[in-house]
Amino acid sequence: MASKFGLAGGIPERRVRPIWDAVDSRQFKNALKLSTALLSKYPNSPYALALKALILERMGKNEEALSVCLNAKEILCTNDSNVFVDDLTLSTLQIVFQRLDHLELATSCYEYACTKYPNNLEVMMGLFSCYVREYSFVKQQQIAIKMYKIAGEERFLLWAVCSIQLQVCCGNGGGKLFQLAEGLLKKHIASHGLHEPEALSVYISLLEQQCKFGDALEILCGKLGSLMMIEVDKLRLQGRLLARAGDYVAAADVFQKVLVLCPDDWECFLQYLGCLLEDGSIFIKDSDPIHPLKSTECKNFQISEELFDSRMSQAVDFVRKLMVEANDNSARCPYLAHLEIERRKLLFGKGDADKVVEDLMQYFIRFGHLACFTSDVERFLEVLDYNKKSEFLKKLVKECVGSVSGPTKELGQSITVFKIQNSIGDLFALPVNDLEDIAVRMIEMFCKNLPLSKELDVQESMHGEELLSLACNVLVQLFWRTRDLGYLLESIMILEFGLAIRRYVWQYKILLVHLYSYWSSLPLAYERYKSLDVKNILLETVSPHILPQMVASPLWADLSDLLREYLKFMDDHFRESADLTFLAYRHRNYSKVIEFVQFKERLQRSSHYLMAKIEAPILQLKQNSNNIDEVECILESLRCGTHPLELSNEIRSKSLTFNEDLKLRPWWTPTSDKNYLLGPFEGVSSCPRENTHNQIKQTEENVVKTVEKRSLLPRMIYLSIYSASESVKENLEANGALVDSKLSLELKILLERYTKILDFSFQDAVELVLGFSSGQKPFEAPSPDLIDWMNFAVFLNAWNLNSHEIKFSDTDPSSTSTWNLVNIMFRKYVTETIRCTGPVVSSPGSHLPFLVQLVTEPLAWHVLIIHSCIRSLHPSGRKKKKGGSVDQSNTQLLHEMQNSIQSLCDTIEMVTRWLKEQLNTPDDEKVEALFSSILRNGRNDGPGKVFNILESSSSLVKDVEVGARILEAVQSWSPAGVVRNIITGQRSLLSDFLKLCELKLKSLQTVRLQL
Amino acid sequence: MVCIRKATVDDLLAMQTCNLFCLPENYQMKYYLYHILSWPQLLYVAEDYNGKIVGYVLAKMEEETTECHGHITSLAVLRTHRKLGLATKLMTAAQNAMEQVYGAEYVSLHVRKSNRAAFNLYTETLGYKIHDVEAKYYADGEDAYDMRKQLKGKKHHHHHHHHHGGGCCSADLKADEKPGSAETKTE
Repeated sequence: MASKFGLAGGIPERRVRPIWDAVDSRQFKNALKLSTALLSKYPNSPYALALKALILERMGKNEEALSVCLNAKEILCTNDSNVFVDDLTLSTLQIVFQRLDHLELATSCYEYACTKYPNNLEVMMGLFSCYVREYSFVKQQQIAIKMYKIAGEERFLLWAVCSIQLQVCCGNGGGKLFQLAEGLLKKHIASHGLHEPEALSVYISLLEQQCKFGDALEILCGKLGSLMMIEVDKLRLQGRLLARAGDYVAAADVFQKVLVLCPDDWECFLQYLGCLLEDGSIFIKDSDPIHPLKSTECKNFQISEELFDSRMSQAVDFVRKLMVEANDNSARCPYLAHLEIERRKLLFGKGDADKVVEDLMQYFIRFGHLACFTSDVERFLEVLDYNKKSEFLKKLVKECVGSVSGPTKELGQSITVFKIQNSIGDLFALPVNDLEDIAVRMIEMFCKNLPLSKELDVQESMHGEELLSLACNVLVQLFWRTRDLGYLLESIMILEFGLAIRRYVWQYKILLVHLYSYWSSLPLAYERYKSLDVKNILLETVSPHILPQMVASPLWADLSDLLREYLKFMDDHFRESADLTFLAYRHRNYSKVIEFVQFKERLQRSSHYLMAKIEAPILQLKQNSNNIDEVECILESLRCGTHPLELSNEIRSKSLTFNEDLKLRPWWTPTSDKNYLLGPFEGVSSCPRENTHNQIKQTEENVVKTVEKRSLLPRMIYLSIYSASESVKENLEANGALVDSKLSLELKILLERYTKILDFSFQDAVELVLGFSSGQKPFEAPSPDLIDWMNFAVFLNAWNLNSHEIKFSDTDPSSTSTWNLVNIMFRKYVTETIRCTGPVVSSPGSHLPFLVQLVTEPLAWHVLIIHSCIRSLHPSGRKKKKGGSVDQSNTQLLHEMQNSIQSLCDTIEMVTRWLKEQLNTPDDEKVEALFSSILRNGRNDGPGKVFNILESSSSLVKDVEVGARILEAVQSWSPAGVVRNIITGQRSLLSDFLKLCELKLKSLQTVRLQL
Repeated sequence: MVCIRKATVDDLLAMQTCNLFCLPENYQMKYYLYHILSWPQLLYVAEDYNGKIVGYVLAKMEEETTECHGHITSLAVLRTHRKLGLATKLMTAAQNAMEQVYGAEYVSLHVRKSNRAAFNLYTETLGYKIHDVEAKYYADGEDAYDMRKQLKGKKHHHHHHHHHGGGCCSADLKADEKPGSAETKTE
């Protein structure tokens, strides 16, 4: 086997080149023609076949491509010595097999070639890459060792070492394997040395993972250490190793050196301080990059008071020296280092809070105008009590008034004061009027400073841009406290005003996405979301802002797009990521190989991804729920619902990752399942900031439960449909042929699992729903929980059709069967929900999503069950033969179903009436009513002050120089348009839902006719 | 108070968020991965405390031409962290690594003609000079300055022998380079 000069896959290159050119220029038809001609000349050439397969695959003819590929493989794997095999043939086949999702076939081709041509490095590398693509770490290791033995090259050894590390980090290999890897490297170094920086990194990380810090230091400081080209990198590593070995004094010296070279390196300063305090917790790496453990919060000081004092004064001296030497005016680190030392002293019980405040003021004078100031000082504020914080705030205000700096700096400082006030929770304690004044001042400040931005182009951030987000936060709080819609409208108004001036501000858009969602103007929220232009990995981190609302909405087409786009990105990435891993191997970036494989796993365990994976089929089922045949087709493609079920089975064993950047969320909804605005304002103590951490933990637990619960649905739907039809057949067939009791049993098991997720035993759950329907259990505010309970009741009824285990006492006339139970529950929840919900325009956070979910999920599943029963009662063709005589028990069933259909129709009609009432009110009327909430018309209090400023801004900007672009934007901005858009968005949501309800009604009527 | 450190693969999420907030164009994830897996020494992030990524530089080596040189692909600093010299620090880190690790003789980059802030940073603070103008370089039709800065071109320590060919990966990625090698924006 060889690649002969001028030959490609054993065929003269000049014959093949036209095909390559045609493929490159995407002329696949032509390529196919040429390839057929080539095959007539070389009918048994695996390469000619592989080329044809490649073309067919590109043309989308996957089945043909696979069969041609298999043919090529068969020829390739014969013992015929005339068959020409080279790497080009193998790699071409590999590409096609991979695209056809048959990696294993490509691997087996390479495996065959490796046995046929042992010691051929090129083919072995191909096989290695196949194993990389399959994530077969053990096999990777074995083939890499073979290559190393043949060629003795360093890179092959490192490939093997990497494969070993992967077995431990990402597979199930034990730590003992590290010894093997270390031994291999040692032996190689003894005879050949090491030549690549990355090889050195791997070696050291191997030692570190085994806690052999001394050995690692020896290597780093020895001859091999010179492989590290960048001095500070080497020092940082050395410091870390020393610290982990427990030699804190030497480590602190090393970190001092780093700080002299990079005086603004905060991370390094913390490490330095950690070493002085002999606290190594900062050196333990976090496994969870999104929620880093605040290692610096550690208060576990183990050193004596005396030592503490001397070490701290050592640190103070050093930092002072740094400040003098650093001629870099923008370096914040030395100043913050100073603060950090004071903070540690406070934590140790030897500090002085006044000193902290004083240092904070110094920091403010220097950096107070910067947008990062507030987040910089947050950790220092945390150690102060409320009085000290207020003292600091007062000083800031005083300092601000007195300062004579340029207008930009002054603006920056003023914004900082607002942010600090917000950060220390002061705003929550203020009376409504004062809070309103703050919002007014913010907006005035924004408008007054517009001229500062006159020179900036549209893509440039504006001066004072943050003021609008801050004011929005204040106005939403005012709304939360007063429930006055005017404030909510104003909060939207100012953001839209800001976007009119500069349409790129993502912060405004994200706030608007949440505000519009909350106010049932979801189509508008989705529009703002789309304008963020979320793509690529941002789908993972940013789409959680909209996806949960969309899942509970009637906007199915948009939801479907969202899910499809996101899943496609993720799945494409998983497909391609193995290729990229091999790229890192080829470039000898061994440490990246491991990082990258771990990254892939992190994405695969993404909670958001799993959620999307289960919501996509549920959406399909909802979209087709009026057609039982379609539903069955979908279920079949999900392997009768067992496919999602597997997901549910696995979920407990995986530790899910949460990749959403929660800091981007507005304060009132810190996580996707929490919205403070839905509940009442409860004073300062309910300040959401304090609860964020617990809230996040709670949400993470909930997400696991939700995914697990939702993954059960498709299978339960399948079993319920089946159970319903079986129950009829059982009655139809004389003496009742044996029903497949296995499936009925499975449904029961799933129901038990479902209730367990809801924290109930099956028996308690049954009693609970019986209690709901008989009125013993009082009605509670609609919640997603109730949807779960409705689902449970629906599937319970389906199960009971066969098992007849739920018996009813004859004395209670309200609930005589599980059919009746379900009817009552639907009717009751809809009645109560509508009773306590006003029209969406005046009820932000309305229960509309609850109603949508109720109708499109549990109710839809229930209709499917009825459908299934009826279909079995009247199997097509047999209708007449039976002479219309149904036996006793089916008469009973017929009766139940007639009642159910009537009851469901009544229930849905309640919803449609409610929707129509709202849709019948003309938009103009709604616009006017809403708009009037912010028009002051002589009123002195209540909302409208902020809007007044916006209104007068258009006349204001005429007199000052703001530049043509801003002037035009301000003058053409239409506040009425903002209100109208909200109303239009609501209308579109309501009418979409109305359409779904009407379709469901129609479908029920068709079913009724079949009875 | 910012640590300029080498990027890890995990930083990609935050880097892309930075990209969204700073630049009108958004690169494909493959493109970031291609950089970090090929030249991990040339990707730096600016990490604020609590691990927040507030800026990054994405660079690569051009190895096909005779003169080995580096290229700055993308540079971004969050608005909240401007005026702190972070862009300069990120650029210096990447340039040093090009020189010391790969022995680059010069470094090139493209910048929008209209982006005065970035242009000033490159010419005044970092010493870049206009080498050429590329007409309609950006997707929206704007021209780009092709800028260069001479490095000392220290003899490099080692050289990568990349094994291209075999597998469709490198070819696919090459095709993506053009639309990606685009934007830099700072203040």
